[in-house]
Amino acid sequence: MIGSVVALLVLLAAGVVATALIDSAVGAVVGGEPVGRALKGPFTRSALLAVQGRTTTERPDAGTWRLAPALLGGLAAVGAAAVPLGRGLAAGDVPDGIVLFGVAMALVMVAVFLHGWSPNSPFPLFGAYRFAALALSYEMPLALVLIGTALPAQSLSVGDIVSSQAGLWNVVRQPLGLPLFLVAVAGLAFWGPLNVADAPDLVGGTAAESSGPALLAWRAARSAVLVAAAAMAAAAFLGGWNGPLLPGPVWMAVKTMGIVALVVTSGHRIPRVRLERFVVVAWVVLIPLALLDVFAAGIVAL
Amino acid sequence: MGLRAALSRLAAAAPVPVFLAPGAGGRSPAQRLRLSPYLEVVDSPRRATVMLVVGAVAAGAAEELHRVHDQLPHPRAVLWWDMETGATAPPPLPTAERVVGDEAAVVGAVVAAHRGLLSAGRPSSPPLLADVEPNDWRGVGPFGQGGKGMTGGTPYGRPLPTRAPDRDGLELDQLVLTLGPWLPMLPAGLVVEVKLQGDVVQEVTLAPSPGLVPGAAPADVFERARVEPVPIAELELARARHHLLWAGEVLVLLGLVAESRRVLRAAVAVVPGAAAAELAHAARTAGALASARRLRHPMARVGLVGADRLGEVAGPTARASGVVTDARTDDPAYRSLGFEAVTEEAGDALARWRVRLGEAVRSLELAAEAGDRLTSVDCTPEGPRGPWRAGGPSPSTALAHLAPGLLVGLEWGDAVVALASLDLEPAELAADAARPAEST
Repeated sequence: MIGSVVALLVLLAAGVVATALIDSAVGAVVGGEPVGRALKGPFTRSALLAVQGRTTTERPDAGTWRLAPALLGGLAAVGAAAVPLGRGLAAGDVPDGIVLFGVAMALVMVAVFLHGWSPNSPFPLFGAYRFAALALSYEMPLALVLIGTALPAQSLSVGDIVSSQAGLWNVVRQPLGLPLFLVAVAGLAFWGPLNVADAPDLVGGTAAESSGPALLAWRAARSAVLVAAAAMAAAAFLGGWNGPLLPGPVWMAVKTMGIVALVVTSGHRIPRVRLERFVVVAWVVLIPLALLDVFAAGIVAL
Repeated sequence: MGLRAALSRLAAAAPVPVFLAPGAGGRSPAQRLRLSPYLEVVDSPRRATVMLVVGAVAAGAAEELHRVHDQLPHPRAVLWWDMETGATAPPPLPTAERVVGDEAAVVGAVVAAHRGLLSAGRPSSPPLLADVEPNDWRGVGPFGQGGKGMTGGTPYGRPLPTRAPDRDGLELDQLVLTLGPWLPMLPAGLVVEVKLQGDVVQEVTLAPSPGLVPGAAPADVFERARVEPVPIAELELARARHHLLWAGEVLVLLGLVAESRRVLRAAVAVVPGAAAAELAHAARTAGALASARRLRHPMARVGLVGADRLGEVAGPTARASGVVTDARTDDPAYRSLGFEAVTEEAGDALARWRVRLGEAVRSLELAAEAGDRLTSVDCTPEGPRGPWRAGGPSPSTALAHLAPGLLVGLEWGDAVVALASLDLEPAELAADAARPAEST
């Protein structure tokens, strides 16, 4: 038990490092800069944040401010625990895996809101409210398309969902599922076009007042959410550990980082969404499409 | 101890997170610093090790400078790039280290300060403001609660929010914030007082920072064109560069930071005597940005200005609202080049984006065709923000009158894009504000 938890945390940490490297490399390509130098950036920047002093604001809620990154990272770990790396290789492949994942991801809002509310400062608070305003718009499609993948497997266990894709991956069987899930992944990790909570127009939003180790922890936790959600996308839609030649866990890692690369690249190419318009698009287009996805999956399963 | 020393050594090799406080004449040099691989220009002082004042900042902005300074985490240093080598007074920062010279010298000084802080025992800059409450807390209970008038009506020196109906008819708190002058999403040097409900703008007033010193910036080609004939090629290259630099700033607001560096790099290459390949690359960059479909949605229908609301506004903002007005059409030298104004009809931020980038492409073509033609001195020159005759008010003053009405009712994210789309220059506002005082 302890061994699998340690393994989960090590793998999640490796995913966070890989995400930072991919982000730097894609940023360098988009910015027309040498990739080699950019790859050193995540290490030197992280070291700098680790040795920088903490700062504080006027009358913050210091306890919850410190708790928020830990909560976010913890939720990422809980979400990732439900996803098996190979057959029977999960820290917590519980029978209701997608429910566990959904609950952990729904609580991300609490962590982000705490992080924005605690510094007692306007821009972080705006970021927090923005996240809360947007969250339901992509969490609904997320839950619906995950249920869609559970139908052919006739199980809520992520392991069973992966096994049900041995012949045909869900990305083909349910073509609406993965694109809708990817929107939710970007939203949950407030990444790229859906980074409304920590956006540049709010000088970093919920992280505007954070510095030093606290900022490092927050960024790492956010990347961990991205990795956990990408791992679920790989398991639920891309056949998880299924694949020729390579061992299952390697396939899982390749697919997860492929999804991460896609989301990270979108962050460098697609501008930030406009809040109100995105909510309208989500409720008028994305949620009906997600319902369609579930109905179609249900009919096929019958 | 060993781990910390190892981390410090690694941290010393990081691109230096630097927070820029551009003063008069500092906006353009500050943008160029973004391209240095040794620096990382950060948007919050909480992430910087070095605060760099670029150009002249007068004592009027002392409190704002001190506030920014004290937000940097330890270890920190503050540097001042004195671009006029002694012609202006140093900024009101007692611990600022003066740096003179070109961009490379400044980058070198910033990197040396950063490394000194992390590995050579350079002392961290001490706080400049006293850590005291603006108002005494008068609570009586064990947790500071209770009592009468615990905060004297102004908790921590700020009035409590008042309530007012919002756009949906709900009674909501109004939050009044004074932002700037170095908030990265606003034009450097602009102080914005904004009343917000939620993140919807209810009221805005704009003013240049009292720290901006009028006339401290060196005269650029547009200023020279007001008093003497200048080569059209030089003027048009400066226009193309200006519009591309502006596009780079807007891209940051849209969350496209890496792409903004690519655009910035294309922009700074546009100088008289640049290789044809560099200019062609800049033209391709501007053309691709003008027509990029993915950039439509954050700007379309944001900050709408109808032709009837323009007032004194001319230049690209008016041309984006369908008004065919361009001082260059009056200039015989431009007419001989077959010049026609670039216009759009929609009047939104997207139309202003397309007009400016369309003009950047056209300016690069004009520069190539102009040969050694000069502008006519008896015609008002068309600056990057509109026509500006010698002794007259700047285009920015007209834009500053237009801006508040444009921002009211917008969500904050849209408001900053709408404001950026006007391309206000606070230094021009400061110069206009100083003019009547000079004449009396």
